[in-house]
Amino acid sequence: MKLTAHALLAALATTALLAGGSAQALTAADYQSVLIAAAKAAEPGFAGFSAERGAAFYRSTHGGDWSCASCHTEQPTQPGSHAVTHKQVKPLAPAANPERFTRADKIEKWFKRNCNDVLKRACTPREQGDFIAYLLSVK
Amino acid sequence: MNKTHKILALLALAAGATAATPTLAGGHAYGPFPASYIEECASCHVAYPPQLLTAPGWAQVMLQLDQHYGVDAGLDAKRRTAIADFLQRNASRRDKHAATAQPPRLAQTPWFRKEHGPLPQQAGKTLPAAAQCESCHRAAEHGDYTESGLRLPAGYRHMEH
Repeated sequence: MKLTAHALLAALATTALLAGGSAQALTAADYQSVLIAAAKAAEPGFAGFSAERGAAFYRSTHGGDWSCASCHTEQPTQPGSHAVTHKQVKPLAPAANPERFTRADKIEKWFKRNCNDVLKRACTPREQGDFIAYLLSVK
Repeated sequence: MNKTHKILALLALAAGATAATPTLAGGHAYGPFPASYIEECASCHVAYPPQLLTAPGWAQVMLQLDQHYGVDAGLDAKRRTAIADFLQRNASRRDKHAATAQPPRLAQTPWFRKEHGPLPQQAGKTLPAAAQCESCHRAAEHGDYTESGLRLPAGYRHMEH
């Protein structure tokens, strides 16, 4: 699954580079299209991502101490603050911070770290897609 | 060289030194730091000077990144090795920078205690944590921990020697 996602992303990145010549090869929507394939493979009945589900996911503490909003704030267009060190975190919503979701390695790294911190497990492709759908809906 | 010349020469030296400060390699008084160190470590906290902990301390930090003081700071193997090597090369060789607690912390070394007294231990919900150097050392991001850049938040008193 992960290898497939990587291959798709590499193809997407190459296409974007050839087409635009831009160093920022990815957009959040590009990454979502990769997640759709992964979600379909993981869930036979998968019927698309939902910003609404993503919003609920973003605010839930999932039975632990933290939610996504603990660091990224209730309003992800605003700068946040690291729950442990209080260091400022740049806004998470692409509308406020266009650098978000433009590098596959960074997206995967932070999903891995933060899902472990908040949910104590990896996030599923659907959860990641819902999460991004929500962030893209925030203006 | 007469006295005036000497003073002028010293002033020129001082001016040169002042002008050079912001352009230190990597923009950091303890640097230069590799870009990976800034990107991976300084996104959650100030890029701590590697010179403030001994090599065994850093080795231990880098071996348990998935459980890094309450958060997952896991890295891919290539970046982890590069950062671990950088920390080992620049680690302190002095006992006063050896951590006295587990897991090792820069704020729990004999040197840190001597410099800061009880201040960081007062950290709590309303006061900045010891991990947040920049809350008092306003220019910590650039490695400037001198007293001229020090501004203590409400509730802290400067340590009396």
